[in-house]
Amino acid sequence: MHKGRVLFCVFLIAVAAYAVWAAVGWTFKAKLFPLTVSIPLIVLAAIQLVAEIFGKADTGEGQAVDLEFASDVAPELARRRAIRAFLWVGGFILLVYLLGFPWAVPIFVFSYLHLQSRIGLPVSAALTAATWLFFYGLFQRLLHLPFEDGVIQTWLGV
Amino acid sequence: MFDALIDGLWLVLQWKAFSLMMVGMLLGFAVGLLPGIGGAATLALMLPFIFKMAPAEAFAFLLGMHAVAATTGDITSILFGVPGEAISAATVVDGYPMTKRGEAGRALGAALTSSLLGALIGAGALALAIPVVRPLVLTFGSPELFMLAIIGISCITSLSGAGARGQIKGFAMGLLGLLLSTIGQERQSGSLRFDMGMMYLWDGLDFVPVLVGIFAIPEIVDLAIRGTAIAGERQPENLKAGVMEGVKDTFRHYWLVFRCSVIGVFVGILPGAGGGVAQWMAYAHAVQSAKNTKDREGFGKGDIRGVLGPGAANNSKEGGELIPTIAFGVPGSGAMAILLGGFLIMGIIPGPDMLTKHLAITFSMVWTLVIANIITVVLCLLVLDQLAKITYVRGGLIIPFVLLLVFVGSYTANGQIADLIVTFIFGLLSYFMVLYGWPRPPFVLGFVLGKVIETYLFISVSRYGFTWLRHPVVITLIVLMVIIIAYPYIQQRRDRLRSPANA
Repeated sequence: MHKGRVLFCVFLIAVAAYAVWAAVGWTFKAKLFPLTVSIPLIVLAAIQLVAEIFGKADTGEGQAVDLEFASDVAPELARRRAIRAFLWVGGFILLVYLLGFPWAVPIFVFSYLHLQSRIGLPVSAALTAATWLFFYGLFQRLLHLPFEDGVIQTWLGV
Repeated sequence: MFDALIDGLWLVLQWKAFSLMMVGMLLGFAVGLLPGIGGAATLALMLPFIFKMAPAEAFAFLLGMHAVAATTGDITSILFGVPGEAISAATVVDGYPMTKRGEAGRALGAALTSSLLGALIGAGALALAIPVVRPLVLTFGSPELFMLAIIGISCITSLSGAGARGQIKGFAMGLLGLLLSTIGQERQSGSLRFDMGMMYLWDGLDFVPVLVGIFAIPEIVDLAIRGTAIAGERQPENLKAGVMEGVKDTFRHYWLVFRCSVIGVFVGILPGAGGGVAQWMAYAHAVQSAKNTKDREGFGKGDIRGVLGPGAANNSKEGGELIPTIAFGVPGSGAMAILLGGFLIMGIIPGPDMLTKHLAITFSMVWTLVIANIITVVLCLLVLDQLAKITYVRGGLIIPFVLLLVFVGSYTANGQIADLIVTFIFGLLSYFMVLYGWPRPPFVLGFVLGKVIETYLFISVSRYGFTWLRHPVVITLIVLMVIIIAYPYIQQRRDRLRSPANA
């Protein structure tokens, strides 16, 4: 039994069960479609859950049409690197929330290059400047994309 | 008719119209490469600039831009695994694994050449179909469009893994996609569903942050895990030879490219189905056309046919979408609705006049599609070498730049921080889907088709009760659906019977 696979089935059942619970009180038109899809989802996820717990291990035979992660990295190292990657992605979103895109972009790019990728200070600074110029020139000057201020600027009133 | 065809070509080749088409193509090229910023949004931004143009110039400018955005969207999908456009997500599934295998040049060559052939077939269909398209479009009411969407969903059987467990996972993912498409205001009664008290969810989840999260984030995380360049630690391929191989692949599989182009045209003609549906249906068709289960195993791991099918359909649907737009003023997609605004700005009313009084302008659109795509593909093929070299740069240098593109692209959907959070959540979900072997394509198919299915089902039932099930076209489509669902099982059974153990 693979704990992660079991938990994913439980997650699917929980999502579909929540959908059923939320939809039951709606009007007929509003609930028909969500109920029609969430009930079979519970059934299919439950069958898969039983197969994960009691069935034979998935041999991977006839696998789905989709990406497969790198298999040449040790699982523990892969897990650590994946968590670190998601923390960087989450960190970027947090920076955008706090400071807005125009400030978050150079801070994130420089931090990632220098701290994560261990690129030297001058090269990191040069690449950060180039990325910021690309961002500013294309998205702000040319396309006039409206980027909101971060909460810090709003809070400080600047 | 022949005179109008020549007049249409002449209109596009006038220096002013041609220059404007080139400017539009340049814009479309950049927009196509940037994730999230769609061709439709750029059309809307450029609409105010056409007021002082002649009709042929305006359409050369707008269509030149639109045609190119669909082509170059595939480049980002293949090089970085980030869909350049919401409608080029299917190219990621096999295009990016090819890049990781060091075959970026071949994948790009194949995508661009199939796009060109698809665009030419779409333009040809536009030229030929206008006089005869009326009965086809009128045959397709809500019940038929509902059944067409159901056929799209039935492609899940081809996109899921073989065997009972593979099918269970595939259908469960399709249902999850359908379920998440119901978030937001229900169109018939106006009830809010699963909005969790957040105004952001009233309009439902936008395609761009969801699709970018589903496809881009796991690829970026995988790149971080491997700690190498996108193409791994291989020696750079002979890019020119790779590109040429991709071009040859297109002609090797010409019959598949043709069939997928026809799928693109057909889906494009039908209002409301959307470009994403055309690409995924073409992809599923490419998978289904595999000779046997073994032949099918390469899909998702870098099979060239998985690049050719969606590439062709993506561009042929442009010609298809223009057919009802020009002939009836019924736009086939959001981009065509904006183009319709262009017609009105020019003082041209779509309809029968486009086949008589303005026939030369109609043909100028056909020529714009042809010329813009030929120029783009030739120019792209010349610079592909340089583009493909990016995949040999260390991942640590690429990741922050790709993340920037991913999140700016997502942000353009609604201009809210919530778009970024949606991208992150779906990125996380997609990571676990890949990790535990739950296929993503059925999820995307369900998510893209969910709203279409629900809307057309309600209209069909409200308008016809259940008598719509007896419509001849509906019955034909039901039979087609049964064949599509049954085909992978028939194929497996045939393989088993042919296997040496049974010989």
